[in-house]
Amino acid sequence: MAWSSVGLDPASPSTSVPFLPRRTRHFPVKPPPAMAMLSLSSRPLASLRPNRPNPPLHRLLRPKPLASTSASALTPPTPLSDPTPPPDADPTPLFLRPATHPAPAAALAAFRRRAAALVPPSAPHLHRHLRWLLAAAAAAADPSSDPALLRAPLGDLEAMWARHVRDRRPFQYVVGNEHWRDLVVAVRDGVLIPRPETEAVVDMVRNVEGFADGWWADLGTGSGAIAVAVARELGPEGKVFAVDVSEVAIEVARLNVQRYGMQDKVEIRHGSWFEPLEDVKGKLMGVISNPPYIPTDDLPRLQPEVGWHEPKLALDGGKDGLEHLLHLCEGLSSVLKPGGFFVFETNGNKQSEFLVDLISTKWSSSFHNVEAVLDFAEIKRFVTGYRR
Amino acid sequence: MARALLLRIARCYPPLPTSSALSQPRPLPPPLLRRQAPSPLRFVPAFSLPASSVSTSSDAPSDGGGGRKGEEDGAEGGGYVDYLGMSDEELMGQCEMGTFKASGPGGQHRNKRESAVRLKHRPTGIIAQAVEDRSQHMNRASALSRLRTLIALKVRRPINLEDYTPPVELLQILPLKSTIRGKDVGPQIGPNNSKFSPGMQALLDLLFAVEGSVSDAAKILGLSTGALSRLILSDDSLRTAANELRASKGLKPLR
Repeated sequence: MAWSSVGLDPASPSTSVPFLPRRTRHFPVKPPPAMAMLSLSSRPLASLRPNRPNPPLHRLLRPKPLASTSASALTPPTPLSDPTPPPDADPTPLFLRPATHPAPAAALAAFRRRAAALVPPSAPHLHRHLRWLLAAAAAAADPSSDPALLRAPLGDLEAMWARHVRDRRPFQYVVGNEHWRDLVVAVRDGVLIPRPETEAVVDMVRNVEGFADGWWADLGTGSGAIAVAVARELGPEGKVFAVDVSEVAIEVARLNVQRYGMQDKVEIRHGSWFEPLEDVKGKLMGVISNPPYIPTDDLPRLQPEVGWHEPKLALDGGKDGLEHLLHLCEGLSSVLKPGGFFVFETNGNKQSEFLVDLISTKWSSSFHNVEAVLDFAEIKRFVTGYRR
Repeated sequence: MARALLLRIARCYPPLPTSSALSQPRPLPPPLLRRQAPSPLRFVPAFSLPASSVSTSSDAPSDGGGGRKGEEDGAEGGGYVDYLGMSDEELMGQCEMGTFKASGPGGQHRNKRESAVRLKHRPTGIIAQAVEDRSQHMNRASALSRLRTLIALKVRRPINLEDYTPPVELLQILPLKSTIRGKDVGPQIGPNNSKFSPGMQALLDLLFAVEGSVSDAAKILGLSTGALSRLILSDDSLRTAANELRASKGLKPLR
């Protein structure tokens, strides 16, 4: 691990791929060099693209409302099989439940000792998680009150803690939220936990001229983090269509939109990618998406918190991880209005380079200023561009 | 303030290529400064240098570029920059922000909140960081507030005692019994107030100008020596800085 230095000089040079000159539609298009790198050049691109807007993969991998122990071929083995339902099956995130469970100070102290004893020496960061868990579980009013008022019975908290430490259940699912930008985003099993890298997407949107009064689409909104963050920056005319195929995601996104009072600015639509946007075709100022982009072959090697617990639907990008990204690129030109902006998050350098090459050659007549943008770890994480 | 930080960040995308010692692998050091704890800070004996050339070798031993003279933001035609008078956004603009990053592919691959933030103030080389909150947003705000304290403690601006009038920031942290403190100055500002830092900086500037003599400084401020001592001792980081300064002048520490 290392400190990455993030320059704050607004004049910092962009490391993006140079702008390619406009080409007419009939100009013969050579395969971009990145295609060879990804060893895709032997096959027509079309074979990578889903023929249907909603590929069967979606249905096969549609997650159950709570993290399933039913392993698919892609799921790494879960270390402990727990036949009893988890004690926190309450769909309300812990941090939003009423603090109605009294816990005497002595019992709380004993819990803290037992919980700390579970932390292996190899994972000292879990001590911080324990502190955060207790902070999230306790009523905010008076931390020193005896008995303390908790949002779950102490026994439930103990089981939740054990699942975090032993089963590697993400801490964010335990407390039910993730701190993302200046938001506290509610999350639960079945919805992707928003990543810190993705925070930058909102800044890119804000840099688009006149963004505040435009209509935006967040495709695959998941928890709704991006949609809510963008909506909070919009002016009176601005609006975000938050689209997701997962019903769990729709529920969680709705909760987050309500929590931040963005009902008037965010319209949630259930469906796959562009499907629910027929009525706004050609009217969008921008399209934002953090689609599933991990190559299917990489799924078994994911960090357990991710691979065992987060929805495959939100992670699995198919072969080479490009399946959904390519589908999104194809649909862009019909939903964006002229001058409209797009930003996609990708798996990183190779995918971004490939997409930049593809869009600025194959679709050069439709898009300009297509470039790869670095994340804070200096990985080419995003692809951005404008419709002509 | 938080909004200002975001605006700042918004303008800096994409980040600069790695350019400094900040990118070298380095274990996460403990938080630099807590007001309530004995200060772990060490001070360089460079009190007489202008602000633009204060270096903080104790914090960044491997950072050769930390304290170069005449760096673009620092020197303004021989004047002394009032860093603490800047808005958060302006101050942030003089900083390089480092985030504690994990190696690996990142993005959807990873569940790890590396929310630690480290700010390096380019003109002075001062480094401040924060790690304790879940939110990088909060840690950024904490680091910036720590940076202000560190600037107050470390950056000395010369004073001409002949025609010295204590600035209002200094008057605001003085006890009400000070004879030079007018009624219009308002209530006394304590160490937990964000406006304490500019006053602390001005007090240390004065203490430096009088060669560390608390009684001389007390006279100028219309206070008894005991009252000024109590003020200095009321804040751990201020006491440590004052004692470092006195030690550099061969004086005994205040207790």
